[in-house]
Amino acid sequence: MTVLAEALRRFEPPWIEVGRVFRRICFLRFEGLAGEAQSIEENEFAEATARALGASGSGPEAESILRTVLTEERERVSQAIAFAEVLVPLLAKRLAGLPGDAAALAEPAPRREKARAFDPDRGIADFIDDMLAQERTG
Amino acid sequence: MTTATAEKPSSAAAQPAAVSFPPQAKAAPTKGTVLLVGLDLGTNKSCILAGPPGSTDITVSKVVPSVVGYVKDGIVDGIITGNARILYGEDALRQMLHVELVAPLAEGVISHPESARDFMQHIRLLADPTGRTEIRAVVGVPANAGEQARENIRRSAQGIFSRILLIPEPFLAALGFRDDSRVKQSGYVDPVVNSLFIDIGGGTSDLCLVQGYFPTRDDQISIPFAGDAIDELLFDELNRTYPNNGLSRITVREIKEANAYVGPSRKPLDIKVVIGGKSRTLELGDSVGNACNTLIDRIYPALTTLIASASSDSVVTLLQNIIITGGGSQIRGIDTVLQKRLTDDGYENPKVRLAGQDFQRYVAIGALKAARAARENQWQVLLA
Repeated sequence: MTVLAEALRRFEPPWIEVGRVFRRICFLRFEGLAGEAQSIEENEFAEATARALGASGSGPEAESILRTVLTEERERVSQAIAFAEVLVPLLAKRLAGLPGDAAALAEPAPRREKARAFDPDRGIADFIDDMLAQERTG
Repeated sequence: MTTATAEKPSSAAAQPAAVSFPPQAKAAPTKGTVLLVGLDLGTNKSCILAGPPGSTDITVSKVVPSVVGYVKDGIVDGIITGNARILYGEDALRQMLHVELVAPLAEGVISHPESARDFMQHIRLLADPTGRTEIRAVVGVPANAGEQARENIRRSAQGIFSRILLIPEPFLAALGFRDDSRVKQSGYVDPVVNSLFIDIGGGTSDLCLVQGYFPTRDDQISIPFAGDAIDELLFDELNRTYPNNGLSRITVREIKEANAYVGPSRKPLDIKVVIGGKSRTLELGDSVGNACNTLIDRIYPALTTLIASASSDSVVTLLQNIIITGGGSQIRGIDTVLQKRLTDDGYENPKVRLAGQDFQRYVAIGALKAARAARENQWQVLLA
């Protein structure tokens, strides 16, 4: 099978379904829900894979498509989670601080205008004071 | 249950209150009866350093697996040394057939309060075998640890330590990594002045900007993906690639610790394992690489977010001082892969380096330094 033919087959409905189910499994594993992930893997995923392999005539080519689909979906999920981990707290903070100001969401991450001057005479106890002050103000 | 602590008011406003503090708190122990402890309470391994106040001596330095083993019922007398009912750390792991193993922490925070308390008792005995010395401990917590996680530590330490201070781990790592003898030397780049620490532990990867003041919440990002999550990905991948392999999670972790790498595939990576009593060689190049490279994908966006938040007049120096510590710093290529990714993304001459061979101890070293520097009114008193 040519590379193009293999690439096109990955977009056929049975393989799209395999990818969809596998994404769910990846998300569940990232969330630490290994039991639920395994259950889906043994049932829904196994059925979807069997359907897709059957539709593609099984054999090495079908196995190759399966490996490609799983690798791609794993990477997609990994990148999506990494992106969300950074983006969601930023969005939450901005939404909490600026209710209704949708324009703020389009702004880049806040950059400090100027570095705080470092005072070489400040010791560890002063840092601890800073920490305790932060804790008191929440 | 009432709160476990009585926090003394701090700074100048605290002075009158300090005078009228409850008698047991005012009755400071005589010199020599207080022991300071720096504790890195890790998901997989904990590091404890102890020493007297007013000196730089370290009397105890231990790294202990964070695990408690409760001896199963019906174990024949003499199998367990001293017929102990509870084992800790390496002893518990050695006797894993005969004990119920419990990890007190998950993702960097206490998940089993009872076993956490038992583990704290063990740490106390390691620091002070006499059990009679007053212990004050600075304990590292993951960056951005919530109040509940902090309260759980305080409760676990109640009646075991007399006073406690909880400080974010990456900041302690920076303090621990700092070479105090060179701070005033010209040419020494003080990590406390301008650096970015990446502390990759078992449960969490913590990133922290350290720029000469105590990091704010915005300066710290904690990601619940670290060594344990890599183990889990590798375990799942092995079960898919080699079904019914029978390898335990502990063996998978050992395989990872010996072979972890990031970057391009390092095939072939042939690993000899014993499955069902028979020796087999498994090719794990892609499995190990895929699992470890996931860590890079998770921490890189956090790294660039913190870099983006630094002021423009500090960022060039900051990029020269990105330091990786914790168990994750032992993943081969992690410094060069992160540095290359930053370079490829156009960052100005970034330098990512590894903290070095003391990677397991920097948080505890920083914690002990903080314990020695803490003012009386900064400690939280744990009510017995």
